[in-house]
Amino acid sequence: MLESILKRASVGNVTVALPAGDLPSPFRGMPEVGEAFRTGGAAATCAKACATDAIDPEKRTIDLGRCVFCGLCEEACGGEGIRFSQNPRLPWGKRENLVLGGSDVSLAPASADLRSLLGRSLHLREVSAGGCNGCDLEAQALGNPIFDLQRFGIDFVASPRHADGLLVTGPVSKNMREALVKTYEAIAEPRIVIAIGACAASGGIFRGSYAVEDGVGNVLPVDLFIPGCPPHPLTLLYAILGFLGRSPEKIPRG
Amino acid sequence: MRCVHTFDLGNSAPLAEEAFRAFLRETSTGADRLLTLFAEEPSPGRFLLHAVAGGAAPGRFLYACVETSPRSFRTFTDVCPGTHWFEREIYDLFGLMPEGHPELNPLRFHEAWPKKFFPLRSTDAPAPDPRRGYRFLVVRGEGIHEVAVGPVHAGIIEPGHFRFSCAGETIQNLEIRLGYQHKGIESLFPGGPEMGKILLSESISGDTAVGHSTACVRLLEAITAKPADPSAERWRAVALEIERISNHCGDLGGLSTDIGYLFGAAHFGRLRGAALNLLLRITGNRFGRGLNRIGGIGPRVPGIAPEDLMAELGRLRAEMKDVGTTLLDAPSVGVRMEGTGRLLPHTAKTLQFVGLTARASGRDVDARRDFPSPAYVDSPPVNVLLDAGDVMARARVRFLEMRASFDWLSGILAGAMPPGTIAAEGVVPAAGRRLVVSVEEGWRGEIVHAAVVDGEKRITRYKVVDPSFRNWPALSFAVQKNVISDFPVCNKSFNLSYSGTDL
Repeated sequence: MLESILKRASVGNVTVALPAGDLPSPFRGMPEVGEAFRTGGAAATCAKACATDAIDPEKRTIDLGRCVFCGLCEEACGGEGIRFSQNPRLPWGKRENLVLGGSDVSLAPASADLRSLLGRSLHLREVSAGGCNGCDLEAQALGNPIFDLQRFGIDFVASPRHADGLLVTGPVSKNMREALVKTYEAIAEPRIVIAIGACAASGGIFRGSYAVEDGVGNVLPVDLFIPGCPPHPLTLLYAILGFLGRSPEKIPRG
Repeated sequence: MRCVHTFDLGNSAPLAEEAFRAFLRETSTGADRLLTLFAEEPSPGRFLLHAVAGGAAPGRFLYACVETSPRSFRTFTDVCPGTHWFEREIYDLFGLMPEGHPELNPLRFHEAWPKKFFPLRSTDAPAPDPRRGYRFLVVRGEGIHEVAVGPVHAGIIEPGHFRFSCAGETIQNLEIRLGYQHKGIESLFPGGPEMGKILLSESISGDTAVGHSTACVRLLEAITAKPADPSAERWRAVALEIERISNHCGDLGGLSTDIGYLFGAAHFGRLRGAALNLLLRITGNRFGRGLNRIGGIGPRVPGIAPEDLMAELGRLRAEMKDVGTTLLDAPSVGVRMEGTGRLLPHTAKTLQFVGLTARASGRDVDARRDFPSPAYVDSPPVNVLLDAGDVMARARVRFLEMRASFDWLSGILAGAMPPGTIAAEGVVPAAGRRLVVSVEEGWRGEIVHAAVVDGEKRITRYKVVDPSFRNWPALSFAVQKNVISDFPVCNKSFNLSYSGTDL
C-alpha cells in the first residue's frame, strides 16, 4: 500500500496538455505538399509508389482516407513532392474533407444543434469491425492517464443504450456488418457515427478484398472521419474536440 | 539464415497419406513441432496440403506434403490434435472436408455467406459440397444455463462470440466462435514480392506490426535475394523486443483492470505508452509501422541514437520493475490470480500451444532460440519457463520476459555495430516452384509466414499463422470449472488477437 502511494506521489501529473505541439522525428503526421507535387513530375512518382492508391496524379490530390502513412511516397520523391511533418493534427470531417488538394484544409464541425446537445458530454460505444486492432488500441489509449479523454466530458460506455454515438474502426468485415448495424440501431437518436483510420474511411490496405465493405460509409451514415493508420491518440483528440466545436487552445490542462 | 528456409517443391514429391500422417504424428510426440499446415491449389482441381515442422535444433525445418481429393481428406486430429483449427481453416478456404473431424464448425464464414463460397478454390475445380452450418455444443444436465457474450463486447476490444454453459456460476464449457474480423488477408498477398505486402503484413494484427512485418520482409528478401545487413537486422530485433515490452506491460495493466487493481492499471497503461513512444522514436509510428523495407529498414529508421535509446530504456526498466513488483507481490492480486484459469502442461503439449501461453505451462518453445534471426544467433534473450499454468504464471512470464528483453537490449545496444554483410542464404533460385518459410517470435508467440513461389518469383499462395490462431483453444481449457466472473481476467491473461486469427 505504502509503495503505491509513494509511487503515485513521485510520478506526479502525466496528462498531456493541449495543444501538444509536434511529435518527435521521424513521426509521420500531416503531409506537406511541395511545388514538385503541385506542378511537377513528383505527383506521378508518388502515385506510383503508393500501395493504397491514395494519390491522384491527375488532380494532384492526396486522399488521407486511403493513406496509411507508410512514407513510401516521400522516399520515392526524395521529399520534393510529399514530406511528412511531425504534426499530429490531421484534417477531419466528411469524407471529402480528407482529400488534400491545393493548400487549404477544410474541416466539417458538427451542426450547432449537435454541438449544443453533445458538446460538453459525449458518450461513445466503440465497435471494431474488421480492422487490425491498431485503431482500437489507440482509441483505448485515449482513456489512459496520458490522454485522459474523460477530462473533456467524453467517455466510452459498454452499452449502446447509454451512448450518444458510435466510434467505428476497421473496413467493416462482412461478418461484422450485421452486429455493427444492430449496435447503431440500439443507440437512441440523435446519434453520431465517428469512423477512425484509413480502413474505416476507405477499406485502407484491405480495400477490394472479398470479405470487407470498403469502409463504414458504405454501411452507416458517418458524421466524422478521422484519418491515420492508426491515428495517433492526439490526432483523435484534436478531431473529436474540433468536431464538437471545442478549441484545444482553450482547454486547460487536466 | 536460421529463421528462413526455402524448400524446392520440384524435388518434393507428395507423400503417401500414411507417411504424411506419420509426419504430423511425429510433431505431436517428437522434438520437432508443427509450424504450419495449409492447402494450395497448384492447378485447377488439384489440391495439396503442405506441412512445415521443426525446432528440435536451431534452424531445423522439415517439410511434407500430400495430395488430396478435390472433395475431402481424412482428418489428422486423431494423430495430431494441433491440426484441429488448421483443418477447419482449410475447409473454409478450399472446401476440402476433413472427414472425421471432431468439431467441424466454420471458422471464417458466418450464415450470411453463400454455402458454396470457398474463396481460395478456383471455379474450375469440381464443385465442393455446401458448407455445413455452425452447431454449438449443447451441455445437458440439471440447472445448466447458457450465457452468450459478443460479438460486440463491453470495452474497446475486437469482436468475437463466447458461449458459456454454466452450472450456477461455474463454467462447464466455453465455446469460442470467431471469424468476425475476417478480411481475406491471405487473398491479397499473391503477386509480386513488393512493398505493399509489407504494409499488409503490418495490419495482420496491429499490436504485432513489428513481428509480422519482420517475418514477412525476410520472406520477401529470400525471394528477391536482397538480404538485410546486420545493422538492419539488429534494429529489427530491437524493435521486436520493445514491441514485446510494450504489449507485456499493457497486458499487466489490463490484468490489473480486470481484478480492480487500479494502481497497476494506471501505471502500466502509462508505461505502455512510454514504450510505444520509443517505437515511434525508432520507426515514426507507435506500433513500429514503417520499420521494414525489402533489403533493410526505412531510411528514417532509427530516429533515435542508440545511447539515447539506452537511457530511455533504463528509466523505463526501473519504473516497470517498481510497479511490477508492487503488483505481483500484492496479496489482493495473488488471491485473484493464483490458481485461476489453469492451463495444464499436458494440454499445452498435446495441442501444441506456442509462445508465452506455452511457456507459462511448462512447454519450452521460443523461436528466438529455435529459429534465431541474425541478431539472436549468438545470444537470444534469457528463456523464461514456468509450469503453474495459471493467470499468475502468465503474468509472471510477462514480467520476467520484460526483464530479459531489457537485459538483451542493453547488451545489443552497448555492443559494437556488427560488421560486414551476410550471405544471401535461403535465396530462391531462378526457376521452379519453391516454398519459403519465415519464423519470428512475436510477443504472443511464434509467427509463421509461408509462401509458395512460382518460377517467375511471384507469390501464388501466402499463408500466415499468428500465435493467436494456435492458442485460442487454450482459453476454453483454462476457464473450465472456473467461475464466470473470472472469465475477463482469464481472457486477458492470454490476450489473443482476433484479427490475427480471423485474417
